Amino acid sequence: MHNTWLIIRREYLERIRSKAFIIMTLLMPVFMASTILIPAMLSDMKSGGTRHIVLVANNPEIAEAVKQQLITPQPSDSKTDADIRSQKASAPRYAIEIGTNVADAERASLRQQITEGKIDGFLWLADTDLASHKIVYSAKDVTDFGESIELRNAVQSALVKRQLAQKGVSGAEVENLLKPIDLDSIRIEKGKEGASGISVFLVAFTMVMLLYVNVLVYGFAVMRSIIEEKSSRILEVLLSSVTSKQLLAGKIIGVGAVGLTQTIIWLLIMLAFSLPGISASRSMLSNVHIPMVGMLAFGVFFILGYFLYSTMYAALGSMVNSDAEAQQVQWPAMLPIIFSIVLSTPVLQHPNSQLAFWTSMVPFFAPILMFVRVMVETPPAWQLILCVALMLLTTWGLLGLSSRIYRVGILMYGKRPTLPELRRWLKYAG
Amino acid sequence: MSDTVELRGIHKTFDHFVAVDHLSFNIREGGVYGLLGPNGAGKTTAIRMMIGINMPDEGEVWLFGGKFHRQQLQRIGYLPEERGLYKKMKVLDHLIFLGRLHGLSTAEARKRALNWCERLQLSEWTQKKVEELSKGMQQKIQFIAALLHDPDLMILDEPFAGLDPANAVMLKDVMIELKKAGKTILFSTHRMDQVERLCDSICLIDHGRRVLEGELKKIKASYGKNTVQMQYEGHPLLEDCDLIQSFNNYGNYVEVRLKPGADSQELLRLASQHARISRFELVEPSLEEIFIDVVGQNA
Repeated sequence: MHNTWLIIRREYLERIRSKAFIIMTLLMPVFMASTILIPAMLSDMKSGGTRHIVLVANNPEIAEAVKQQLITPQPSDSKTDADIRSQKASAPRYAIEIGTNVADAERASLRQQITEGKIDGFLWLADTDLASHKIVYSAKDVTDFGESIELRNAVQSALVKRQLAQKGVSGAEVENLLKPIDLDSIRIEKGKEGASGISVFLVAFTMVMLLYVNVLVYGFAVMRSIIEEKSSRILEVLLSSVTSKQLLAGKIIGVGAVGLTQTIIWLLIMLAFSLPGISASRSMLSNVHIPMVGMLAFGVFFILGYFLYSTMYAALGSMVNSDAEAQQVQWPAMLPIIFSIVLSTPVLQHPNSQLAFWTSMVPFFAPILMFVRVMVETPPAWQLILCVALMLLTTWGLLGLSSRIYRVGILMYGKRPTLPELRRWLKYAG
Repeated sequence: MSDTVELRGIHKTFDHFVAVDHLSFNIREGGVYGLLGPNGAGKTTAIRMMIGINMPDEGEVWLFGGKFHRQQLQRIGYLPEERGLYKKMKVLDHLIFLGRLHGLSTAEARKRALNWCERLQLSEWTQKKVEELSKGMQQKIQFIAALLHDPDLMILDEPFAGLDPANAVMLKDVMIELKKAGKTILFSTHRMDQVERLCDSICLIDHGRRVLEGELKKIKASYGKNTVQMQYEGHPLLEDCDLIQSFNNYGNYVEVRLKPGADSQELLRLASQHARISRFELVEPSLEEIFIDVVGQNA
C-alpha cells in the first residue's frame, strides 16, 4: 500500500508540475470560450445594426400590421428566444418603410437601392402573392435564417390577427390565442417528478463526452507512461522494490488523478464564467432537473469507467514498445466506448428491454449504458450492485492480467508479442 | 553464520530455451562474490529470480537465512545492467523517491542522498533534471540509488561498464568500503581483470549451468603453477611444441599453459634455442585463462 502510494504520488506530482499540464489546463478553457464567444460576438456585431427594410403591399393596413409585428417584441416560441430578444430589444432591429406601389418598375428600383446599399432588403406583399401564400423577401444577404423566420412569423401573425379582427374577435383575445404553448416533459417515478427528458439527454451527453475525452487523453497517457518506463529501463530498479501490480495500480491511479484534477479545474472555470449566464437563463435551467441519485451515479460510473478503461490501456501498453505501436493497438480500448454510444439510443428509448439489461451489465458498456438507465428509470438495486461489482472485478482482473504481461513484456524488449506468445507470457510470470 | 544468498537448484525456461539450469550456489555474508559467465549465460535471469522479478520454475531462493519474501527486498540494493532513470525528474527528487520505496523517510533519504552526491562529486547536479546529466553521471546516480538505504546485500550487474577510469576507481573504493563494513556484494560481469582484483569467491556459469564455483584463491591454486609468462625477442616457435596445452599472445608478453606433467625447464631450454628470453616466470593461471579454458571445454 505504501509503495503504491509512493508511485501514485510521484506520478501525480511530476505530471501536475509539468509545463505541458499547466499550459493545457489553462489554454483549453480559453480555446473553448473563444469557440463559443467569438461566433456569438460576430453575430452580435452583425445584428447589432438596424436593418433597413421596405414593405411593399397593395393594402397599407397589412404592411402596417406587419411593421407593428416586427418592431414590437413578441412573446415567442421558447423562453430562450425571449431571453435573446430582451437583450436586443434595447436597440430597434428594424427601420421599416412602407410602400404601396406594387408595379414591376418599383420592384426593379428597390433592387437597385439594395445594390446601392440604401436599403438592406424589401418584402413583397402584393395581394396576389398573399392569396397564394407565397411571398418573397429580397435582400443583399439572406443567409440569416433567424431573420427569414422572423419575417415569415410576422407576416403570418399579422394576417391571422387581421382575419380574426375581421371576424370580430377582440385584440386581447387574439393575443391570447396566438400565445405559444410551452411543453415540458417530466418523468414520473414513484409518484414523484423525476428528471425531464431534456436533462436526461444533457447529462447523458455530458457523461459520454467527459468519459470519452478523459479516456482518450489519460488512458493514452497511462499507456505512454508505461512505454516510457520500458524504454527508459527504470523498471528493473522499481521492480526490485515494488510488485508489478503495485506499480501498475499506482500509475493508473496517479495518472487518473491528474485527469480528474484537470476535469475539475475545467468544470470550475466553466462554472465561474457561466454564473452570470446561468442567472440570466434560470428560466431555461429550471427545466433541467437532475435527481440526487443521478448525480451520485454520474460520479460512480465516471470514476469506475475511467479506471476500467485506463487499466485496459495499461494492458495494451505493456505489450508494445513505442508510441507508434501504441497508436496501432489502441483501437480495442476505443471500440467499447463507441459501441456504447451507439447502443445508448435504444437503451434510452426502452430502458427496460432485454437489450438494455444485458448490454448495461457488460462492464465495458456499463459506464454509459447503466448510467443512462439510472437517469431514465432507476433499475432495481440488485442490478446496480451486480453491475458495479462486475466492473470492479473486471478492473481487478485486468490489472492482474496486465501486470503479468507487464512483468514479462518489460524484460523482453524488441518485437510485439503474438497472441500465442502472450499466452505463454502469462504462464511464465506465475 | 548463515549465508546471505542461497540458491537451491533454481531453474527457468523461456519457451524451449533453458535460461537457468538447476543452478545452486551460496554466498556467504561479507565479501565480494563474482557471478561470471559469457554473454547470454543466464547471469541476469539468475539475479532477477534472486530478487523476485521472475519466479523460478523449480527450486528455491533463500535470502538472509529465510525463504524468499518480498520484505527481504528492503535489505537489497540492485543496480541492473540496463540503466534507467526518469529523465524529466530532478536528481534529488529521484533519489528521494527511490529511497522512500526502500522504506526510508523523506528527510532521511534527502540527507543520505546529499551526502552521497557530495562524495561522488555530484553536488552541483542535485537540482538538475536527469536528462541533463552525462551517461557516467547517471550511472553514479543509479549506484547511489542502489545503496541509499544501506542494504546488507548489493547486487551490481556490470557496475563499471561505461565509466571512465577515475569514476570507476571512485565506485571501486565505495565497494571496498562497504565490504569492510561487513556488507555482501554480488557482482556480475564478464570482465575478468575486475573480478581478479575485487572478488573473494566466484561462480562461473555457462548455458545456465554452474561450471566452476568457490573461493578465487583455491580455484587458482587448484590449477597449480603450470602457467608460464614469457617476454622475448625473436621467434621461439612454441606453437606446435608438444609441451604446451594452450598459448595466448597478449602482445607485450605471451602466456603459456603447460600440459600436465610437462617440465617448465624443458620449455625454457627449447625457447632459448630460437629467441632471447628477457622474462620467464612461473605463475598461477589468470582468471581469464581459466574462463576461456572452462567455457571452451563446455562449448
